[in-house]
Amino acid sequence: MSETILEVRGLHTHFFTEEGVVRAVDGVSYALRAGETLAVVGESGSGKSVTALSILRLVASPPGRIVSGEILFRGADLLKLAEGDMRKIRGRRISMIFQEPMTSLNPVHTCGAQIAEVVELHEGLSRDAAHARAIEMLKLVGIPSPEQRANEYPHQLSGGMRQRVMIAMALACRPDVLIADEPTTALDVTIQAQILELLARLRRELGMAVLLVTHDLGVVAETADHVAVMYAGQVVEHAGVREVFARPCHPYTAGLLASLPRMGERRERLRVIPGNVPNPARFPSGCRFHPRCPVAIDRCRTEAPEVVTIAEGHDSRCWRAAELAAGTLDGAGGTRA
Amino acid sequence: MSDQPLLDVRDLRVHYPIRQGVFSRVTGQVRAVDGVSFTIGKGETLGLVGESGCGKTTTGRAILRLVEPTSGTVRFGGEDVTALDRASLRRMRRRMQIVFQDPYSSLNPRLTVGSMLGEALEIHDLARGQAAQDRIAELLRTVGLSPDHARRYPHEFSGGQRQRIGIARALAVEPEFLVLDEPVSALDVSIQAQVVNLLQELQERFGLTYLFVAHDLSVVEHISTRVAVMYLGRIVEIASRDALYGDARHPYTKALLSAAPVPDPTRRSERIVLTGDVPSPAQPPQGCRFHPRCFVAQADPAKLERCRAAEPELREIAPGHWVSCHHA
Repeated sequence: MSETILEVRGLHTHFFTEEGVVRAVDGVSYALRAGETLAVVGESGSGKSVTALSILRLVASPPGRIVSGEILFRGADLLKLAEGDMRKIRGRRISMIFQEPMTSLNPVHTCGAQIAEVVELHEGLSRDAAHARAIEMLKLVGIPSPEQRANEYPHQLSGGMRQRVMIAMALACRPDVLIADEPTTALDVTIQAQILELLARLRRELGMAVLLVTHDLGVVAETADHVAVMYAGQVVEHAGVREVFARPCHPYTAGLLASLPRMGERRERLRVIPGNVPNPARFPSGCRFHPRCPVAIDRCRTEAPEVVTIAEGHDSRCWRAAELAAGTLDGAGGTRA
Repeated sequence: MSDQPLLDVRDLRVHYPIRQGVFSRVTGQVRAVDGVSFTIGKGETLGLVGESGCGKTTTGRAILRLVEPTSGTVRFGGEDVTALDRASLRRMRRRMQIVFQDPYSSLNPRLTVGSMLGEALEIHDLARGQAAQDRIAELLRTVGLSPDHARRYPHEFSGGQRQRIGIARALAVEPEFLVLDEPVSALDVSIQAQVVNLLQELQERFGLTYLFVAHDLSVVEHISTRVAVMYLGRIVEIASRDALYGDARHPYTKALLSAAPVPDPTRRSERIVLTGDVPSPAQPPQGCRFHPRCFVAQADPAKLERCRAAEPELREIAPGHWVSCHHA
């Protein structure tokens, strides 16, 4: 098993608003190993994106603040670095791509110039060498006629091409870790397939680790090695991808998987998780999932469960994890609301 | 079911002029919908799928004349919707309604849910006063909300609840037919199944007919009786759900089905990855519109020649299974 390259430990990122403290990330821990893809799955308000932004210390402050926790990159805590040192990590050792490439690219600079700027800044390359690297990167991400595209502006490109430019920029310094926040959510399925293939190929060729933040369980199944499922600011289940899909040991994960319509599978009605996604300003007491949980018991209403390890590398934050693991309890509960 | 379909769309076109220069001269046409024909029988759900820019949303809106068709006919219950004057169109709209993707931007933020629903009842002269209040309470219960919610404003609801309100508003006028335009795409995964189930329950209870516009192929498979696939303003394949998902014949349909990620890590699929992007609907390729990205045409120069030369017609290759490909 390869070494852990990035580890989030007990992270709390809170937002201090007029309406009170929003505990968007509330005790999150996960680890990413060199060369692997860890998918962080969750719905809106689960804290999956805020955790990712916290890793690079990009949370807007105020109102946000990393209250406690550690972010260990190759063993060193990023939260303890001076801003100047952090800048040497950001974009060079750890890069990030976002859902909407148009808002992340600068509209008044050519694509080539934006990529070149990154390597000029981080690696001190000359202008010509940086331009050559930009073209090489555009070629690497599969952009046709890269010499010409390098001179074009973001608005002249399609959504899929823009996402490729973003990836080229993020990878220009050959980072050890790529954080991809919903990288294909804004794209059509045929373009999504192209980008996922591209990320898989680049991961193999460059040997980088990918932290994939997504809500799409199909994308997770196709690309991830490990999965962390987030709900209401916490990781509720963490395991290898096959484990999670075959033997979910948290009722939320089980419910999500059961509610998905699947191609080639015919059902009268879909199974549902009842209720609504909780508001991060008002998480429920006890287990945060208990109001929607089909198998909740009295204890779940009052006492917040700790993380338990069910098997090697398989964690769950549920009082009934052992029963779920043993298969004596159906986490999806068979509810139909 | 009678032989007469409830909805009969023939050769529907929606073209938008491209204007340029100081005199706004028309320099071209975006052919958003370019010759679309299909029927929907009473009680059926036709799924309409395709990628962004393929014209699926515009098709749905043109049927209700929320955008004016450039040409073609839309017959609803035998009556030509495209020929109606304003007053008749308003009467017709009582029978056909739409639910939008983003329930937040389609609900008036300054009206309570009750007054929003009351407005629909009033415009169509369906109920007033206490009768309207009773009807509003009943509508809210129908979509799984509580009558108390009538006093609240849209921002007080979650995404899934807002979509329920959007559905209640469409149902207020007791329509026969709903255009559902990506009704679950903006919702969280755990909420999507709730809304899909609600739509199916309402269909059974009120005998509704649906046009379900979406890009998510697994949701479409779950809810549809028949499915049509659009590419660049045209239908490339239309068939029963089982035929389309089990025996797709058009290369684009095949690519689309194989591109959809499957939530099963033991079955990491062999994808057909299409090269290139969707061309602009202002300048669709000559011949078959799909040929520049088509893996069948591009693999065989003899086939490619025909794809370049002539645009294929939709032809029936099995009963009820229509494909527009020279080589299907």
